Amino acid sequence: MRTPWWQRLAPLLGLFLLCLVLSLASPHFLTVDNLLNVLRQSAINAILALGQLVVIITAGIDLSIGSVVGLTIVILTLLMRHGVSAPLAALLALGVGTLIGLANGLLLTRLRLPHPFISTLGTLNVARGAALLLAGGVPISGLPPRFREVVAGSLAGIPMPVVIAALAYLVTHVFLSRTVYGRDLYAIGGNREAARLCGIPVDRRLNLAYALSGAAAGLAAIVLAARMNSGFPLAGTGAELDAIAAVIIGGASFFGGVGTVGGTLIGALIIGFLRNGLNLLDVSAFWQMIVIGVVIVVAVWIDVLRQRVGRAA
Amino acid sequence: MKRERETGVRWAAALVAAGALLGCSGASRSEKAGPAASGAPPSAMEIALVTKAMDSEFWLVLADGAKAAAAARPGVKLSIVAPDREINIDQQVSILEDQTRKGVKALVVSPAGSAQILSALEQAHQRGVPVILVDTDAPFDKKVTYIGTNNRRGGQLAAKGLAEAIGGGPAEVALIHGVPGNESQDERAQGFIDALASDYPKLKLVARQPGNSERALGLTVMENILTAHPGIKGVFATNDQMALGAMEALEARSLRGRIKIIGFDATKEAVQATVDGRLAGSVAQNPFLMGQRGVEAALDTLDGKPVEKRIDTGTELVTAANAAKYLK
Repeated sequence: MRTPWWQRLAPLLGLFLLCLVLSLASPHFLTVDNLLNVLRQSAINAILALGQLVVIITAGIDLSIGSVVGLTIVILTLLMRHGVSAPLAALLALGVGTLIGLANGLLLTRLRLPHPFISTLGTLNVARGAALLLAGGVPISGLPPRFREVVAGSLAGIPMPVVIAALAYLVTHVFLSRTVYGRDLYAIGGNREAARLCGIPVDRRLNLAYALSGAAAGLAAIVLAARMNSGFPLAGTGAELDAIAAVIIGGASFFGGVGTVGGTLIGALIIGFLRNGLNLLDVSAFWQMIVIGVVIVVAVWIDVLRQRVGRAA
Repeated sequence: MKRERETGVRWAAALVAAGALLGCSGASRSEKAGPAASGAPPSAMEIALVTKAMDSEFWLVLADGAKAAAAARPGVKLSIVAPDREINIDQQVSILEDQTRKGVKALVVSPAGSAQILSALEQAHQRGVPVILVDTDAPFDKKVTYIGTNNRRGGQLAAKGLAEAIGGGPAEVALIHGVPGNESQDERAQGFIDALASDYPKLKLVARQPGNSERALGLTVMENILTAHPGIKGVFATNDQMALGAMEALEARSLRGRIKIIGFDATKEAVQATVDGRLAGSVAQNPFLMGQRGVEAALDTLDGKPVEKRIDTGTELVTAANAAKYLK
């Protein structure tokens, strides 16, 4: 299913309007320093949203990612505390995230649980409990300074979390739009039975999608550990909701088959800019929740209107 | 045609409403500046108070103290910002980064996670923004001062209060604590545990569970403790929200008064519950003084005046005997 270019521009236009309003409202908004700041703050949600996008394209959902962040951040920091080198620990954390994601996929495809909402709700609780047990309920600090310098530092003036997120976006974009795997995922989300009849290995592709979502959570945990300079077992609590919001604001469909990397990036940035702008304007966190809730509903509503116009034309 | 015009009108109305909202918030913001600030640039003397949350009386009173100190000094603008829940430490980090970039002259901060926000505090320091910590300390050696309760002493006071409420004889007690790693909550728990070990050997600690400073969790944790240890005689919850939640669990099982609960913060609701005999007591802190001294310390630092490295705002055990003065 291809959407015309002018329809895809709606989220971008929204982001542009938001930035315009915020730069008029606060003199501190439109500075290079603050824009880099927002990008850095948005990087983690943007990475999580990427995994969520892959799953939502298949008409699925991954509720476990926030907890997977908690578990992988604890494993990552514990490994480093016990003398494992930072690159190896990071690789293992990515592996753990991928494995939990794969488990999500297998629960769905092997145990035939009726909906990923259920399988990932299960792993949400399991992973959070495991994180709290492993960490003994307390944050783990005392990470090697080099880890922090590299992952949370900057490269040619650009914050490393932003560089990492950008690479992840590039890779996922190529994966979704240029590989047979990506095309299969859209086909499965569009119509699972038709995809099966076309000879697409639906179960294997679904396993892959959830494994990728877990890997994204692992990557986000690495960035978060460096940014906060510690591993705390409650990290990422509720993060799945912001990630889902970014994907939906970015124009993906909950019914599967529709959604782009670019749209998701814009969705994550809209949330990031909104939070930052409201912080600069000293708007209370409670109002921020209301505003973000309204934005989600309005974004999807515009999408509905757009489709109605598209169908009429 | 008519339909189209109606849609247009609706859009225009929506835009006007949005503009009005923005306009109003703009007005309320400039209004906060004192009379002397009218000629000066708006950010001449802006100080930010960043608390862990704004979801309990404690933070509101602390903010009142800060407002009072800011109002006493013309030309000072105080911004008050907080995450939506105490557990959203990353949100507090973002708020600190944003406020620093906004160009505030000083930060008065209550760290939601003592270790996690260090890099954000470091950034503020590098940009020449002095950091004053209130309520909760953090291992940040460049802080101007830490203003708050001696939480360890508060925990000891809670042990004393619980021992007196239970009376003589051996008894099992439980501890409901906050988000682990939150220094002030950890200190209260540790002070309580130490005091039991050294001064009240007859009280045996049989359960310690986290309630994340939230009322709903205080209730469920208490239910679990009651199931596991039905013979329990007393509970110390490291804040009043959890104490009140635990109290609800007891009342649901008609155990009022049989199990003594001591809370922490002496919020109005907890003090009223103490007067009513539903709580045994609560350890009072002085959040108003924390907010007030926090902003005063920020202003003194900006004026180049020396500030003490540690300012104790005091604790007192509130029981039915002395509750009256806290109900004013």
